[in-house]
Amino acid sequence: MLGRDGIAGLICLGLSIALLVMTRGLPQSALVPIGPDFYPRIVLGIMAALSVMLIAADVLSRWRSRGAVTAPAAAAEERNYRLVTVTFAVFAVYVLLLPFLGFRVATFLFVVALQAVLEKPQGRRRWTVVITTALATVIVTYLAFEVYLSVLLPRGRWTGF
Amino acid sequence: MFELLAAGIVNVLHLKYLVPLSIGTLAGLIGGALPGVTITMTIIMVLPFTFGLDPLQGLAAMTGVYVGGSAGGAITAALIGIPGTPSAVTTTFDGFPMTQKGQPGRAVWLGIWSSFLGGLLGGVFLIGATGPLAAIALEFGPWEYFSLFVFALSMVAGLTEGSLIKGLLSGAIGLVITIIGSDPIMSVPRFTLGSDFLRNGFPFLPVLIGIFAFAQLMTDIEKMNQPEKSGGPVKAPPLTVSHLKVIWEILTKPFLLVWSTLVGILIGVLPAIGGSAATVMAYDQAKKFSRHPERFGKGNPEGIIASEASCNANVGGSLVTIMAFGIPGDAVTAVMLGAMTIHGIQSGPLFITQHPGVAYGIYAAYLLAHPIMVLICLLGTRFFMRVVTVNKSILIPIVMVLCVIGAYALNNIMDDVYVLLLFGLVGYALVKFRFPLAPLILGLILGDQIEINLVRAIMSDPDPWLFFTRPISGAMLALSVGSVILALWQHRRSQKRVARETEPDVDF
Repeated sequence: MLGRDGIAGLICLGLSIALLVMTRGLPQSALVPIGPDFYPRIVLGIMAALSVMLIAADVLSRWRSRGAVTAPAAAAEERNYRLVTVTFAVFAVYVLLLPFLGFRVATFLFVVALQAVLEKPQGRRRWTVVITTALATVIVTYLAFEVYLSVLLPRGRWTGF
Repeated sequence: MFELLAAGIVNVLHLKYLVPLSIGTLAGLIGGALPGVTITMTIIMVLPFTFGLDPLQGLAAMTGVYVGGSAGGAITAALIGIPGTPSAVTTTFDGFPMTQKGQPGRAVWLGIWSSFLGGLLGGVFLIGATGPLAAIALEFGPWEYFSLFVFALSMVAGLTEGSLIKGLLSGAIGLVITIIGSDPIMSVPRFTLGSDFLRNGFPFLPVLIGIFAFAQLMTDIEKMNQPEKSGGPVKAPPLTVSHLKVIWEILTKPFLLVWSTLVGILIGVLPAIGGSAATVMAYDQAKKFSRHPERFGKGNPEGIIASEASCNANVGGSLVTIMAFGIPGDAVTAVMLGAMTIHGIQSGPLFITQHPGVAYGIYAAYLLAHPIMVLICLLGTRFFMRVVTVNKSILIPIVMVLCVIGAYALNNIMDDVYVLLLFGLVGYALVKFRFPLAPLILGLILGDQIEINLVRAIMSDPDPWLFFTRPISGAMLALSVGSVILALWQHRRSQKRVARETEPDVDF
């Protein structure tokens, strides 16, 4: 059974081998003595070797500590991975909707949604803060970027602005 | 040189540059003071605002963020015992006990004035050393550049905390990201999977923003259901203090000030190590050299001076490396490097000769950011204490929106935003697998240059032994091997120490 490092090493090893295989199809040039595959192979070879070392180190440390009594995990901090997953999902939806809704509408909805996800609004006062923050973000970014700095932000295919 | 510097100062004193510099310094102070918001995060937030500015305006704003952020961490560290930035951790050791003893003004202002003095001494080094170092770098051929970049990468990987293999692997991942796209000699597409967008490779800034911003934001979100350690709302205590007395207190310890500054500069010059290592090392040195080491951790002013002077001197050191060699000293200068590229400025040994206006403008901005930082602190320290109470559920969505703008506004294409999302996931995964991010970023920055110089060297002369027989190149490669061996030895030693300390007591 592999630990955290072993799994990370395995992913990196898989990635480096897959890319190493892909270097075989790269065309060679008659003008340059070394081809476009020369440097990638060195880098990928190093990555593969380091991945193997990481896996080996993980296996070795687990083998050495076999039978050892592990300390209770009570001291470990409780982590809210559900919130992280939901945040990534909300952000992904925001990014995917940006070209359709446009920056202003999508950003307003995103800021409202993510605030609500991170801290459930209870009561009218909190909702006012959530909506005011979202509106202020849209207005300030519009004024700062589009009006003052002339940086164009995405227009929406569905909304037209 | 002095005429150019004077011209740079006069130039930056124009409102056109002074306003972005002051706003940047203010943003840096606030970002630095906010626990959980690092200087890197602040500069990422400021980055999109610089796209519409001219190069020096943008770089002045970023220099302000860097200087302000380095000093800002001390405010919350001293007043509430929570470091605003990781590099201010050592300031909490003595700053907070001093506040608890009823001297909050002395604690905060010892930190701010030490930052000011350390930063200015770092500025002297920045201005004095960048030109000569760049002149040395101009003599480098592709062999030396290749070896220098390899040395930088191996040293950063070796100096990271935790596993050495993971540090090196993290650097290798950074290099692998750069091989995606067209090769630099014949423009043959590599690993692009038929995508036109990927022919140019992954854009550097969206990757950097994604990795750093999400790694931190998501780690903050993980802890959002935990009770706050500060224990309720923060109320700023009165900060009245005699400034002359505080400055005199620092100046009467000239050895401590100069030594801590030197430590900060040297750590800053070494690539991608960052301010935390500088402050920890300076604090440790101050304790070792002190006549009363037992007073450290109990409100000793020497601890605050060492920590804060080294922290801001570190900024000067980092700027030297980026301006002389084009190698970022840390993540903040990595963003600055990216911003320079956007404006068509190539950082490196030719930077000062090709862009003297911008180079001396950066020196001037660095020097002027320090008095501006003190002035802002004089006017607004109490205001910062109110700002640090901003709810994270409000702050995080705004930061994410600024990240999206930063990625999108580079080329006005959504593909860059998708890259941001992809590398946000990658950055968070790397943090969860406990990979250090600094070597990855350095690999990402140096990857293309390593390949170009390697190919150039081999095309000039196919003899690979030249990498070892050319004196500077050979020395750099020897140092690379040395740094890895040293790191291995240090890791072994610390592992043995940990094993000894955690050895369980056994009852027979």
